[in-house]
Amino acid sequence: MPPAIHPVDLLQILRRRHLTPAIVFLTSRRACDEAIDSFAHRHVPIPSERSAVIMQTLDKMIAEYPSITDHPLIPTVQQYGVAAHHAGHLPSWKIAIEELMRQGCLDAVFATTTLAAGVDFPARTVIVTQSHIRKNRTLTELSVSEIQQLAGRGGRRGKDYVGFVVVTPSPYIDVGRIARGLTSNPEPLDSQFVISYPMVLNLLKAHVIDHIQPILEKSFAQFQLNQRANVHETKLDKVDAQLQAYGQRECADWITQWQSFHQARQRRSQVHLKKTHRDPPDVLARLPFLTPGRLVEVSKERGVVLRQYRSRSRGYAMVTVACSRGRIVEYPASTVTAVLDAVIDVAETRRFPWSTSHGLAHANHTLENLPARLQRLPIRVEQDVTDNPILTETLSGEFPCPTCPSRPACQKDHPRAWRLHQDHHRFTKTIHALRTDLWHRFRQHMDVLQTFGYLTPASQLTADGEWARLIRINHSLLITELIRMGAFEGIEPSLLTGVMAGIAHDDDRPVAFSRRNAALASVLGQVRKVAYSLATYEEPPLLRSDVAAVAALWIAEPTLPWKELIRSTAMAEGDVYRLLARSLEYLSQIYGLKATHPALAHVADQAMDLMRRDVLRELP
Amino acid sequence: MTNDELATQLADLPGRLLRRLAKGRVSRHAGMGKNRLIHMLLSLPPDQRARVEVALQSLQHELPPPQPDTAPSPPVERSHRQKHAPRRTGHHDSRSTHCGNDGGGYCGHACPWHPVRPGDEGGEHVVEGSHRQKSPAPGSHPPRPAADAPPATTIEALLQDIGVPPPQPFTPDPWQQEAVDLLATGNVILSVPTGSGKTYVAVEAMRRAIAAEQTVIYTSPLKALSNTKLTEFVQIFGAENVGILTGDRRDNPQATILIMTTEILRNLLYDAGGGEIDMRLNTLGLVILDESQFIADPERGVVWEETIIFCPAQTRLLLLSASIGNPDEVATWISSIRSTPCHLVHHRNRSVPLRAAYLDPSGRLAPLFRTRDIARDHTPPLHPDTKYLFTRYEDLTLGPRSRREN
Repeated sequence: MPPAIHPVDLLQILRRRHLTPAIVFLTSRRACDEAIDSFAHRHVPIPSERSAVIMQTLDKMIAEYPSITDHPLIPTVQQYGVAAHHAGHLPSWKIAIEELMRQGCLDAVFATTTLAAGVDFPARTVIVTQSHIRKNRTLTELSVSEIQQLAGRGGRRGKDYVGFVVVTPSPYIDVGRIARGLTSNPEPLDSQFVISYPMVLNLLKAHVIDHIQPILEKSFAQFQLNQRANVHETKLDKVDAQLQAYGQRECADWITQWQSFHQARQRRSQVHLKKTHRDPPDVLARLPFLTPGRLVEVSKERGVVLRQYRSRSRGYAMVTVACSRGRIVEYPASTVTAVLDAVIDVAETRRFPWSTSHGLAHANHTLENLPARLQRLPIRVEQDVTDNPILTETLSGEFPCPTCPSRPACQKDHPRAWRLHQDHHRFTKTIHALRTDLWHRFRQHMDVLQTFGYLTPASQLTADGEWARLIRINHSLLITELIRMGAFEGIEPSLLTGVMAGIAHDDDRPVAFSRRNAALASVLGQVRKVAYSLATYEEPPLLRSDVAAVAALWIAEPTLPWKELIRSTAMAEGDVYRLLARSLEYLSQIYGLKATHPALAHVADQAMDLMRRDVLRELP
Repeated sequence: MTNDELATQLADLPGRLLRRLAKGRVSRHAGMGKNRLIHMLLSLPPDQRARVEVALQSLQHELPPPQPDTAPSPPVERSHRQKHAPRRTGHHDSRSTHCGNDGGGYCGHACPWHPVRPGDEGGEHVVEGSHRQKSPAPGSHPPRPAADAPPATTIEALLQDIGVPPPQPFTPDPWQQEAVDLLATGNVILSVPTGSGKTYVAVEAMRRAIAAEQTVIYTSPLKALSNTKLTEFVQIFGAENVGILTGDRRDNPQATILIMTTEILRNLLYDAGGGEIDMRLNTLGLVILDESQFIADPERGVVWEETIIFCPAQTRLLLLSASIGNPDEVATWISSIRSTPCHLVHHRNRSVPLRAAYLDPSGRLAPLFRTRDIARDHTPPLHPDTKYLFTRYEDLTLGPRSRREN
C-alpha cells in the first residue's frame, strides 16, 4: 500500500526541513517503482549541477559494472535525485544506488524492507510507512528488532548530529506499534535448529554414534530446551514437596490405589442406576419435592412449581415455575436454590399453561402476599451414592481400601492428591521430552537414511552415503535419490540447470513465461513424481516449469544477451539473477561429486561455465 | 426538558457524576468518552429519560453553584466529523482537548489559545477547561505541581540540531576498545545498535590476530555483504592478505583473512571433521560471525549454531550482532560449550542519536513522542499533536467504523 502522502510532497517537505537524504521504506516493490514514476509525472528536477555529480558517480560505477550501462532508471535518478532499491533490481544496480547514497548524491531512496536486512547504507532520515509487512502472502506485524533495524539506518556517523525516524501513515499502519517498536527491547533470539539429512550424514562420518548425543546437546536449541526443562523441574519439585506432605499410608502408592478403587466404585454403582438418574445428588434429593403447587426459590425470586419433566435432549430434570407477574418460566431443577415448606393448589392441566387460569391467578396472588421469611424444607442429600454396603462388600474382595485403616484420610485427600499426582506425571513427561527432543529427531532422520540405504544398520555411512553427504543444500534427499536413480544420466547442461532451478526456486509468485520448454517440462514432471513419493521425508520443492525454463534458456542459448533473457519473462531482473545464482550454487554442489560421478560433474561444470557470463560474471 | 438543554446540563456535570448517572442505564459506560456517554443518555427511551432528568436534578443539588465567569457550553456535537471541529477552531469549547492533555494538566507548546498565567514556572500554562475547573472554586483546590508533566517537546526543538558535524579524528569508544581487549581472554559477543561501529572492533581484532600469525575467517550471511567487506578489507590490509570464498568463487584462498558466507565455513568445518582438511584450521585464530542475529532465522539459523559448535577449540569467536533481546543467554550458552569464557559487550546507545517525528498527509510535521529523544526503557506517550493528527487521519480514512458507531 502506498503511503497516504504523495511521494513528491513527502520529499519536498523533507527538503524544506533539511531532512534529506532519506530512505523511504515502502511495502512493495511496486509501491517503490510508482513512487519513482510520480517524480517524472510531476517533473520536479534537481539543479543541473547536482545531476552532473550524480552522472559522474554513475559513470564510475558503469565502468566497474557494465551491466548497468543503459539501465532504464538512469535518467530518473539523474534528473530527480531519487531512486528505488529493492530485490527486483540487479545487484550491480543496487550497488550503484548504494554508492550514490554514500556519496550523498541522492535525496531519497524508496526501498522495501528487505533492504534493512541486507547491505547497509545510512541516511539522515528514515521514513517508516508501515507496521505490517507481507510475508508468505499474509500480513505480519513487524517485530521490534525489525523496526529497530529500519530505524537504525537513520543518522550517519560523522555526517549528522542527529538522525530521524519519520512515521507517516498508510493504510494498515499502527502508530502505537511503531512507537513501541522504537522504544522497547528487541525480542529474544530463539534457536531454529533443524536436523537435516546432510547434517546426519556428516556427523556420522566424523563421529561414532555414541558421541552424537553429546554434540547435539551442545546446540543452542538444547540449551534453550534445557532452560525450559529447568522451569518444569522447579514446578515438579514443588509438586513433589506437596505430595510428600501427605506422609506414609498403608500402601506405598496410595494415590493410584485409591484412584482405581474410586473408579471401580463409580463404574459399578452406575451400572445399577438408570439413565434418568444421572442427576447430581442434590438434585436427585430435591426431585421428590418439586411437585405441582410447591413453592420454591429459584433464580433470586420465588415461584410455584407447575410441573416437573425431563428435557428431551439430555434428560435433565426440569421444572416449570409460575413466577411473579404471571410469568411462566422453565428452569433446570439444579437452579432451584431452595424448596419452601408451603404447597398451594394450582389445579394442574396437561397442556400449557399447565394450570387453569384460576389456578394461575391463585398462584400469582399467593406469591404477591407471601411473607418475607418462609420455612425452607431441609433436604438430606446422599453425599456418596456409592457408599452402599453391598457394593463395598463386593469391592473389598478386589481392593484393600474399604477395610484399610487409612481409608478416611485417603478419601479426604484423594481429589487434591490425584491432581498433584497427574501434574507430577505430566511434568516428568515434559521434561523427558524436552531433554531428548533433538536426539529423537536425529534418530528419526537416521532411520529414514537407513531405509534408503545411505546408512548401514550399524549407522555407518554406505558408499552412497559417502558422496550423498557432500550435497549440503535444501532438498538434498530428492537430489541424491535422483542421482541414484540415474535420472541425470546423459542429461544436457541446460536441462540439468533447469531441474536445479526448479528445485532451488521457492517463490510462488506468478510469472508469465511464454516460451514453454517441452523437454524440460517432461523431465520436471518425472522429478515431481519422485519428489511427491518422498513427501513423507522431505517437503517437495515447487518445481515450476515456467521458472525453470528461464534458467534452462540461459544455458541452452550461450549467445543470448541478458536483456533478451529478461525480455522473455515477466520475472524481475533481480529475481532472474537470484534464480541463476541459486542454480549455480546447486550445480556447484553437484560438481563436488566429481570423484564418484565424473560424468554428471562434468555436465554440471559445463553448465556452470555457460552460466557465468554477462551479468553473472560481473559479481562473485 | 429539550434535548439541547439536557445535553448542556449533562455536559456541565463532572465526569464522575455523569458516570453515576449512566450506571445501569448505558451498557459498557466505563469505556466511553464523555460526549458519547451524553449521546447515549439522550437516546434512551422516554420513560428512562424522565428518570435520568429526575436523577440529574438531585445530583445538581449536590454540586456547588456554578461559577459566574464560566462560559456556557455549546450543545453537544453528535457526528464524529463535527466532533473534531472545535479542536481546530473553537478553543472556548470546554471539552476540546487541543493539547491532548486529558489530565487537565499543562499544555507545553506555545499555544495561542491558552493564556499564559503570570507566575507559572517555565511559562507553562493551565488549560482553561471550564467544566473541569467548575467544581473547585478558586483556592479550594491547590493547582497541580508543574513537575508532574514536563511540557511536550516541539517540532522546532526536535529539528534544531540538524547539521553536519565538523570532521573529527576518529577515536574509538571505550566499549570498542574493551571488546578488542576482551578477545584476548575469550570469545566475545557484541550486541550494539546498527551503525555504531562494529566493523572497527572486527578490524582491530583482525590486526591483532594477524600480528600473532593466525588465520582469520570473517563470515556474513549474504554474498552482497561479503563483497562489500572484501573491498573494505582490501583497502585496509591489502589485496594479497584478503581472500574470498563463496559458493562458486575462490579468490586467494591462502590469504590470512578469508571472507566467506557462513554456510561455506560450516561446510569447511564438516570436511575437517570428516578427516579431509583442506583448510589451515590449526592456525585458525579468530572467527568473526557478522549479523549473528541470523541464528534465529527459521531456515538458516541452524548453520550458525553448527559453526559455533564445530569451531576448533583454540579459535576465538567474535559475534557481531544488532541489538538482540537475550545476548546474555547466548553468551551463557557459548561459555558452556567452549573452553574459553564468552564475554558480552552490550549497549543500546547509538553513536548518532535518533529522534522520531510524525508526518501527517496534510504535510504537517510533529514530534512522535512527548519527549524529544527516543526513550530506551519505556514507551513515552505520543505527542499530543501526533495523537490528534493521527486520530483525524484515521477518522478521514476509516470512517465512522473506527469510532464504534452503529
